[in-house]
Amino acid sequence: MVYNSKLFDVIVCGAGHAGVEAALAASRMGASTLLLTGNIDTIAQMSCNPAIGGQAKGQMVREIDALGGEMAINTDVTGIQFRLLNESKGAAVQSPRAQCDKKAYQFRLKHTLELQANLQIFQATVTGLIFTSGKVIGCRTNLDLDFMGKTVVVTTGTFLRGLMHIGQNKNEGGRLGDFSAKTLSNSFLEAGIELQRLKTGTPPRLLGRSLDFGKMQEQKGDTQPTLFAFHDTRDPQDLFHVEQTGERRLGWKPGFEQVSCWMTHTTAETADIVRRNLNKSAMYSGEIEGVGPRYCPSIEDKFVRFADKPRHLLFLEPEGRSTNEFYVNGLSTSLPFDVQVEMVHSIPGLEKSVLLRPAYAVEYDFAPPTQLYPSLESKKVENLFFAGQINGTSGYEEAAAQGLVAGINAVQKGRAGEPLIIKRHESYIGVLIDDLVTKGTNEPYRMFTSRAEHRLLFNHGSAELRLLHHARALNLLSPQRIARVEAKKNSINTWIKRIETERVAGHIFGDRIRSQGVDSPTPNSFDLVPPEVRQEVLYNVLYKGYIERERRHVLKLEQTEKIKIPADLDYSSVRGLRRECAQKLAAFKPYTLGQASRISGINPADISVLLVLIESTRAGQGRP
Amino acid sequence: MSRYLDTIAALATPVGTSAIALVRVSGPDSAQLVTDIFGEAPAPRLARHADYRDRQGLVLDDVLFTFFAGPASYTGEDSLEISCHGNPYIAQRLVEDLLSRGCRSAEPGEFTQRAFLQGQIDLAQAEAVMDLIHARSERALAAANRQLRGALGQQMTGLIDELLIALARVEAYIDFPDEDLPAEDRKIVENQIANVLRGTDRLLATRHYGEVLRHGIKTVIIGEPNAGKSSLLNRLVGKERAIVSPEPGTTRDFIEEVINLGPHCFRLIDTAGLNPKPGAIEELGMGKTYEIAAEADFFLVVLDATSPTPLFDIRLSDLLSPDRVIVVVNKIDQPGSPSTLEFLPPARSVAVSAKTGLGLEDLRSALIGLADGLAPHTGDDAIAINARHAHALNQAKADLASAQLKLGENAASELVASDLRGALAALGEISGRIDNERMLDALFANFCIGK
Ligand SMILES: Cc1cc2nc3c(=O)[nH]c(=O)nc-3n(C[C@H](O)[C@H](O)[C@H](O)COP(=O)(O)OP(=O)(O)OC[C@H]3O[C@@H](n4cnc5c(N)ncnc54)[C@H](O)[C@@H]3O)c2cc1C
Ligand SMILES: Nc1nc2c(ncn2[C@@H]2O[C@H](COP(=O)(O)OP(=O)(O)O)[C@@H](O)[C@H]2O)c(=O)[nH]1
Ligand SMILES: [Mg+2]
Repeated sequence: MVYNSKLFDVIVCGAGHAGVEAALAASRMGASTLLLTGNIDTIAQMSCNPAIGGQAKGQMVREIDALGGEMAINTDVTGIQFRLLNESKGAAVQSPRAQCDKKAYQFRLKHTLELQANLQIFQATVTGLIFTSGKVIGCRTNLDLDFMGKTVVVTTGTFLRGLMHIGQNKNEGGRLGDFSAKTLSNSFLEAGIELQRLKTGTPPRLLGRSLDFGKMQEQKGDTQPTLFAFHDTRDPQDLFHVEQTGERRLGWKPGFEQVSCWMTHTTAETADIVRRNLNKSAMYSGEIEGVGPRYCPSIEDKFVRFADKPRHLLFLEPEGRSTNEFYVNGLSTSLPFDVQVEMVHSIPGLEKSVLLRPAYAVEYDFAPPTQLYPSLESKKVENLFFAGQINGTSGYEEAAAQGLVAGINAVQKGRAGEPLIIKRHESYIGVLIDDLVTKGTNEPYRMFTSRAEHRLLFNHGSAELRLLHHARALNLLSPQRIARVEAKKNSINTWIKRIETERVAGHIFGDRIRSQGVDSPTPNSFDLVPPEVRQEVLYNVLYKGYIERERRHVLKLEQTEKIKIPADLDYSSVRGLRRECAQKLAAFKPYTLGQASRISGINPADISVLLVLIESTRAGQGRP
Repeated sequence: MSRYLDTIAALATPVGTSAIALVRVSGPDSAQLVTDIFGEAPAPRLARHADYRDRQGLVLDDVLFTFFAGPASYTGEDSLEISCHGNPYIAQRLVEDLLSRGCRSAEPGEFTQRAFLQGQIDLAQAEAVMDLIHARSERALAAANRQLRGALGQQMTGLIDELLIALARVEAYIDFPDEDLPAEDRKIVENQIANVLRGTDRLLATRHYGEVLRHGIKTVIIGEPNAGKSSLLNRLVGKERAIVSPEPGTTRDFIEEVINLGPHCFRLIDTAGLNPKPGAIEELGMGKTYEIAAEADFFLVVLDATSPTPLFDIRLSDLLSPDRVIVVVNKIDQPGSPSTLEFLPPARSVAVSAKTGLGLEDLRSALIGLADGLAPHTGDDAIAINARHAHALNQAKADLASAQLKLGENAASELVASDLRGALAALGEISGRIDNERMLDALFANFCIGK
């Protein structure tokens, strides 16, 4: 039976961080969109710690905002603590981070979805996909209701055959208290999509009033909070303030009434407890087959791998304003519950703490992302898109970024338009997706600034300048906002030019700034320029040499990036291509010459051969 | 005009086979290079005679150059052809100078590829181009792989690993500012960079084969006074260079000549005679003979067929390993002279007459055979790869030096990292691209990261 008997343009399965952005992007582009999710009370739930941003992720959230996504503004208005990381370092590697009110975050997003035109949300668990001749055409659900769509975006997170471990104890589910999507995996396997297992973990949650904060060190938010959304170029009606009337009543004025986090550490006793019970850990007793992330080790991993480190830092992070629940950042584990209790009680300030939820590890299926085109569409099944943790990533920001791109590209696919493919040298989102689809991953993939070759160009303040051309081409922002970003860009360029040509006491302003620092004199009235413009100008002036060097590199890269490889290219018939290389390329189907050049084992001569072929074919077609 | 942003350069003629070597340059900087190198404005299609001056202003050779303005050129873009003397040392220096001026070493078949892409050739021609790229790259790849399997590869791995750890040390504090890391100690990074710098220097200095290509295979001619050493050198070089004299001990200083035999280049060094009479002026020359012999790749031991076989000083005989020696029995034109002598039996031996030229072909083949053993891969690919190695290593050095400077100035970490990443990319041009995953491996192995 087909509920509603409507053919949607886009169906999104799973309202996590990826699904929410995908659904909003699609519907905002005018596509009729359906968002199916197992439980609409857990829309955009933060499975792990209630924080958004941080190194590289913070920049990525601002990029999401630059492309019309919701994560940034939602964080700003539900954030309860804001900090700019790496404030002592250069702007390129400074990243905003915020603690959010977990429930407020969710409910504001849910409300946003409810009010969104062209979007229908519905609670149902997707049990399988409906295919016809290599294409997806809809999904089946646990309610025996089928839904038909031109395109389907799968954003089911950790839920595919999710299995949670607490010592020997096992529960099925994508996260504690949630269900496990058990049959959907079969649909993928049937369609020839390969699945593998990954693992991640989360620490226990504690009751605030059972904690002794006197024994901990307080960590306050910044007095001048750095927000994620580009408030300066957004339309006033897109902003939310408490004093504002209108339909959206959730959230609060960004940066007000911040709350603190608290720092403590493990002790020798903690180490001892962990070591004594190591064989009971699900990780160490061989219960878990999935691969966990190197950057997010469990506490047992830390004590084993860095045995000489006497103690490990822990952060107590509040889960919200209207709850007394605290997240213990740094204490992820799959040890049995009784050991967890003993362990927690060995920590200063946590001696008498009451556990509200246990720590656990979760294993789940993911679909290796090299099976996707850079548009995030499956190479195996047409019109089927994947985004988020199912692609092997970890983190809300990584998920949201992919969701946004997948949502946009599902719409473009339905309209036979060009997909949005953001390049590696344009943004972290570009690096993220290119890494995933070109290299794949064998651990949960998280973004680091070091993954970006051109990170000096990726300072968080420039996100909307860097991505403006995409936003404009796809109408992702309102015309008013586009105009404002353009004006901002012009103003920045004008000021850079003035500073690099005008003189003070015989010296170019720019030279002075570079030799004597940002407090050197600037042309008259530069003081009156809005701070976000000032910062951008000064960044460009200070780092001029580096930025120019990076831009030169980028210019070269762009040449191969621009050359698309025909999807139907028969590699086996290409003369001069090594056999193993032809096979690899045929299996991979790279989208551009640039992508082909990044596939491991493909060498420059192979690329030259391809280039000659593509150009000669094109030249041939161009002739009468 | 040109669809390419970079200018490429390479030796277009195989090394050592002709009297003239052709160095080809193509790309947008070609015109500027004419002005910079020759100090004159480029005039299209005019063959000009001029001194080639390197970046330091040193004259490397007097050359013939022709500038071609695109599209009326082989590649269809601005290009420059420089004919220099066929001495591979000179050609090599020219290419290195062009690279140091910002040119990129051309990939195999790249000139032809550009020619193709600038014009419009049909598919059949395109396929011919692809075959060419394929064939040449296979050869280049084979040569590169051979080198990487050897000592060069091992040293590179060592350097790269050390550099990765240094970079990880910087990156850790950039990407994990909130972690409980030990206080950042930039001294360690400085030391590691210094280690890597020493390594690149060592590599640049110990690339023996590269040296051989640059300066020729050092071949020292030794023998008793009057054995005919100088005569032999003249024969091989084909002109009067060393002084030939019936008076023993005329060759006091060293005489060097570069000759090309087959694909190889030899630097022949004539020495003073051995076993001089005590107290004679030649004794002075002897010290130098030992010095130069100690650095020799090969020896030509010249024996006079008409005289008794001499005894060599222990300082020399220790150096004479049979695989590096050709025993040249000279003066076989003299009646009754034997064509072999009992001297260092396992070594190759040839009988010649420096006077008549008899047996000279045998000597040439013997030299080529010896050199083939020393360097199994010569030819244009090898020299191109070596120019690239040196260029890449020098690039890495420059980036490392810049990183050191920044550490000294206490500059921002991401700028230091930017230089270190540059150095790593340069080393990657020799060893193959170095993925960021390897840095992350080093990072997570050395730091306890993660909450
Ligand atoms: C235990 C745990 C620990 C984690 N630890 C970390 C960490 O330390 N650091 C970090 O960065 N990230 C961590 N994460 C990851 C982070 O939570 C995810 O990366 C992020 O939430 C992924 O977003 P997503 O949208 O892909 O999926 P999710 O947020 O998992 O959302 C999936 C959504 O899909 C719905 N859904 C699933 N299956 C179906 C179906 N068949 N039909 C309908 N709806 C369905 C679910 O109800 C859910 O709403 C952890 C996650 C878990 C579960
Ligand atoms: N007959 C004959 N005489 C030679 C030959 N080679 C050299 N001589 C002569 O031997 C003398 C010494 O030669 P020279 O090359 O100066 O010997 P060196 O001292 O070893 O450098 C000269 O008179 C030469 O003409 C040869 O092959 N045959
Ligand atoms: Mg002599």
